Amino acid sequence: MTLAQTLIFGVLTGGVYALMSAGFTLIFGVMRVINLAHGLLLVCAAYLTWSLWERTGVDPLLLGCAISVVMYGVGWLLYRTVIARAQRIDAEIALVASFAVAVAGGGLLSLVWGTEARAATPSYFNTSFEVFGLVVPRAQLYACVGAVALLVSLYALLHATAMGRAIRACASSRSGAALVGIDVERSMAQMFAIGAATTGFGGAALAVLYQFVPDTHYAWIGLVLCVVVLGGLGSFAGAALGALVLGVGEALTATYVDTRWTTAVPFALIIVVLIVRPQGLLGTRLRIEGSTA
Amino acid sequence: MTRRLAVLAGVAVLVAIPPLTGNIWIQNLLILTFLLAIMASGWNIMGGYAGYISLGHSAFIGVGAYTAGILAVRWEVSPFLVAPLGGVTAAMLALVLSLATRRTRGVAFVIVTFAMLELLGIVVSNWKGLTGGSNGLLMPLPTWAVEYQNWPFYYALLTLLALSVAMTAWIARSKLGLGLVAIRDDEDKAAGIGVRTPVYKAIAFMASAVLIGVAGAVYGYYVSFLDTSAMFDIALSMEVLLAALLGGRGTVWGPLLGAFLVQPLIELTNSTLGGEDAGAIRLLLFGGLLLAVALLLPRGLLPELARLRRRRVSRTGARLAHAEVPAWLASGRRARTGEALVVHGLSKRFGGVRALDDASFSAPAGSITALIGPNGSGKTTAFNVIDGTYGLDAGRVELLGEDVTREGPTRRAFAGLGRTYQLPRLFGSLSVLENVAVASGSFSWSGLGRIAVSGEVGGRARELLGFVGLGEYVDARASDLSYGQRKLVELAQVLMLDPAVILLDEPAAGINPTLVERLAELIRALNAAGKTFVVVEHDMQFVLSLCDPVIVLSRGAVIAAGPPAAVSADPVVLDAYLGADFAVEADPIGSAR
Repeated sequence: MTLAQTLIFGVLTGGVYALMSAGFTLIFGVMRVINLAHGLLLVCAAYLTWSLWERTGVDPLLLGCAISVVMYGVGWLLYRTVIARAQRIDAEIALVASFAVAVAGGGLLSLVWGTEARAATPSYFNTSFEVFGLVVPRAQLYACVGAVALLVSLYALLHATAMGRAIRACASSRSGAALVGIDVERSMAQMFAIGAATTGFGGAALAVLYQFVPDTHYAWIGLVLCVVVLGGLGSFAGAALGALVLGVGEALTATYVDTRWTTAVPFALIIVVLIVRPQGLLGTRLRIEGSTA
Repeated sequence: MTRRLAVLAGVAVLVAIPPLTGNIWIQNLLILTFLLAIMASGWNIMGGYAGYISLGHSAFIGVGAYTAGILAVRWEVSPFLVAPLGGVTAAMLALVLSLATRRTRGVAFVIVTFAMLELLGIVVSNWKGLTGGSNGLLMPLPTWAVEYQNWPFYYALLTLLALSVAMTAWIARSKLGLGLVAIRDDEDKAAGIGVRTPVYKAIAFMASAVLIGVAGAVYGYYVSFLDTSAMFDIALSMEVLLAALLGGRGTVWGPLLGAFLVQPLIELTNSTLGGEDAGAIRLLLFGGLLLAVALLLPRGLLPELARLRRRRVSRTGARLAHAEVPAWLASGRRARTGEALVVHGLSKRFGGVRALDDASFSAPAGSITALIGPNGSGKTTAFNVIDGTYGLDAGRVELLGEDVTREGPTRRAFAGLGRTYQLPRLFGSLSVLENVAVASGSFSWSGLGRIAVSGEVGGRARELLGFVGLGEYVDARASDLSYGQRKLVELAQVLMLDPAVILLDEPAAGINPTLVERLAELIRALNAAGKTFVVVEHDMQFVLSLCDPVIVLSRGAVIAAGPPAAVSADPVVLDAYLGADFAVEADPIGSAR
């Protein structure tokens, strides 16, 4: 396979990774909470997609848009019942609580859907366009285009609406936001729910592009962590760049090293980046700006 | 005394169980309980004392087991013989990963430990040549007589558990342990009073891993067959977290108690649950339990019990006592001649704001120099760049003739600089004595292990508390003190560094007039003993009676400097800060504020 071909695969994957990580980095940027249940939400959305697709035959990526609404509700509930309470105790407990939700949720997924590997395979699965002799797989292209479109709308939501402004105000100072009349608790719940909603389409893309079992949520949170560590925690633009780097890195490993080692790439990158350059690729400055975005 | 008896009785019972019962099920349950207790106890050193949560502690089990397994097979020796090497490998791994905590905080640590666990799982299952990959690795068979059952495993793990508890108890009372708690409470402040935070964290993480590595080797031998998914299991890390949290983070016995509660529960579910859903139900059950403990009992059983029994130490009747400057402090570090502190061309911007704009000034050796100016003129920013909290955009800081511009806060503390804060920053979980004892003006490896609240270190801390008049309060918790008392504790803390130059940020603000006078006396006494002071203060009466020279900052630059009488009459200063109607004699209350 040529380098150009590998890069195409990498970039398409990167677009999907960017959406998967956007919600996580948004939540960290605003609340300083590491939501370890984010991978669980992704796999949960993937199962919902798979179930509905199998029953109705509707395109799984389209279903993903509808499931985003469901995930918004799940996120809201998770915030109200667990995260908000835990955060009032301390940041470490918030982290432990989200980890506990991830572990317990993994068990719940197994009880509901079993441990057999699943994947949603629409008609265009395994077909592709050919451009200048290069292969562009259709499923990957659609997923990437959808993910980028959602990322753009998410950015617009945060920057062009009153709700988005309120959320960004809370990110830079909660007490300041409360002083100017923003309902901080409501904004936080909305923000957390929006972050969770991004896993709707993200999970649908996961269901189409990869096989999954309940336990894979650990691999997916690892991947999301890698993306945000690469880009600098809390940075929106950083996450997009981190996703691209990781997507291309994985494609290169699969082509030139061995597919068995692609799963190791995110974890190895996390450790190397945190030891060598803990501020991420884009540096501290962008990280601080990004945390308010 | 009763506690010591209870511990002895507990140990005696545990030692006697295998010969007395011969029941394999009980032995197995206790072996697994010891293992979980060793893990929770190790986790607690990093997660409980230092406040750095790890999600990957089960990886040290795998590392220890595979190290011993591979070596035992290659060298054809008993795994018991190479088990210590499992501990060494685990500690080395911890040392490498601790590099990730040099400049970052808990968040990066959580991520890095999780990544380590997952990465090792993948590497071990892919590296077939070394580890047997997904086929697993067969350990040698036990060589002892059958009638001894699992005794060697049992006693090996019991010994490791005893070592683990002893190590934790020792760390908790040592300088290292106090430093770790200080890191948990306020890491930046800890760095400023001479706690070398990267070294403390690296040692803590290694101590946290080493015995788990050895225990992993014993455990691997016990289960006789190593496979990746069981050896690098995140569910095990979750159980460790559950045990430590349930029993109580940051206590010596809490993680042990937690393990003795959690492991029987695990065994109970293992024996009652069957069928293909058993694994899923267990995850749901223990994940749910962890969530419940996190939300409802976040401090854990032992601390909650202690809180019920603890009475507030009430010493409202105790008076401020007068004492001499301790001899070691009076003959300690000092600036002898020339300038003690020189700053040249300091510039610091925050976005578009120039907090410091080419400010240069100096504090003569043996002086009490005042730094005054209107709010926002850059006084506290100057302190923050002098003590190394902020980096400089331009400029140079010289302490006792030595350029320290490139040094971090800890190095500057070692070089002879001490600093208090406008709002005192004490470590809320430590006692008053511990708050003072944790500070150190130099670093030595042997000093880390020394018991901090007794011996020479404790003695000095007591002397200093006596000197500032708080000798009666050594055992009180810092968070129970009044605002003014906390300011005095912070002064004693800084004096522990034996600094040559002491920066005081608004020492007189917000405390009662008697205490202000007392503070002025302390400063004079210390000054007479050779200490140089730089004081930021708005109380002009305090400044003019105590300080010479006086330096005036406005908008980040020095606008006047000189003896107090000259400065307070300077029209530029009157215009920028004091106000045209300022007159010292005419207004004894000092209404300049």
